Amino acid sequence: MATDQMSRTDGKESGRGRRTAVVTGIGTAARLGLAVVWAWAGLAKISDPEAAAQAVRAYRLLPESLVKPFGYGLPFLELALALLLLVGLGTRIAAGLSALLLVVYIGSIASVWARGISIDCGCFGGGGAVSASHTAYLQEILRDIGFLLLAGWLIRWPRTWVSLDGLLATD
Amino acid sequence: MSQKNSSEAKRTARERMQEERAAQEAKAQRIRKFSIIGTVLAVIVVAVVIGLVVQNSRTSSYNASQAPAGTIGANKLVIPVGSTAAPSTLTVYEDLRCPACGSYEKSFHTTVNQLMAQGKVQVQYHVVSFIDRNDNGTGSKNAANAVACAQNVGKFHGYHDVLYANQPDETDDAWADKSKLITLAKQVPGLDTPAFESCVNSNSFGAWVTAVQKDFDKSGHTSTPTILLNGTSAYPTYNGEQISTANLIKWVDAANKGKTPASLAPSASAALVSPNASPNASG
Repeated sequence: MATDQMSRTDGKESGRGRRTAVVTGIGTAARLGLAVVWAWAGLAKISDPEAAAQAVRAYRLLPESLVKPFGYGLPFLELALALLLLVGLGTRIAAGLSALLLVVYIGSIASVWARGISIDCGCFGGGGAVSASHTAYLQEILRDIGFLLLAGWLIRWPRTWVSLDGLLATD
Repeated sequence: MSQKNSSEAKRTARERMQEERAAQEAKAQRIRKFSIIGTVLAVIVVAVVIGLVVQNSRTSSYNASQAPAGTIGANKLVIPVGSTAAPSTLTVYEDLRCPACGSYEKSFHTTVNQLMAQGKVQVQYHVVSFIDRNDNGTGSKNAANAVACAQNVGKFHGYHDVLYANQPDETDDAWADKSKLITLAKQVPGLDTPAFESCVNSNSFGAWVTAVQKDFDKSGHTSTPTILLNGTSAYPTYNGEQISTANLIKWVDAANKGKTPASLAPSASAALVSPNASPNASG
């Protein structure tokens, strides 16, 4: 509001208004992009719960009793984040949780890599053991870092267009 | 004086009102913020809980009564071939779509069939189906269900050999088309019946196939073929020695030393050597 008024009265301020629009535009793209990523990741894992559980088991990080809760639950956590980002509700929190989840994923992949286990990350379905020549840890980690940057942007600048946050005017 | 006082009083009153309004707005803002945080957390918790319940209900449906006839083991997940009296056991984890399993079968199925016919080993098959996950598709599961249908009528061995002899490339999900599995069943004398076809088409042993795969997931074995001779890994090496047909026979004989092979009727032996020979011709 204040920025709008100022930009109308002061020529210097119109530059800032444009910059705000650019930041908001990038944020909107980041929000929707991350929503698509989570939706894709989540949907790819729900059709076969056993495969999802095995993808988790293959990391050899969790005890057997937690394999199923994580394998069954994580895809729905991803879908929930996708939904929140899609409608733009609690963008900063959703982005924060996205970043947290991505950090966990990156750490898990790095840990598997360091231990010399050969698996597919199971990030977008699939998962489980693969032959050593079929691992793609570096690509998987770089890809997740890319997603992490989107989440980071939204934590810093959570304001976006066409969002419930904007509709409810909270900042 | 009095004028000044009253204007000051007015201003402070105005300020107080503004402060109050600001405080109210801040409070409303806080409430909105917290309700958004609450909504976000609620959406996540509800989604995860629903997910856990739905996925659990989708997977807890197997019990041993759904297994094909003649299967063994605690949950009837294992298909035995050969005599139970054989002194050695060859445990085989195979995926019908896995090319390494195809090449294992190509190299060793004749030898293994002979070892069974001589009463030296019983083979215990775990028909896993994880290639569908890696390469996408349904061919592994369809084929695993189809061999379960064959097992149910006592014709697993022959059909198993036919499928491996006609295995498509790993990336070609040919067996997503169940009619191809039925066509191949015609090579097994007496297998292709209406009951078998409906068993294949309606995925009758789907829950069993999932349970076998789940058992493999938890076994700690991570690839196929996994071949165990009396519990010791025999593929690609057995105690440091590379597998070959000669070595496999040698290992089995060494393991069986001092034990009597199972005695099989000649017809049973012949059926194990070439399970798809027409029964009339051999009779």
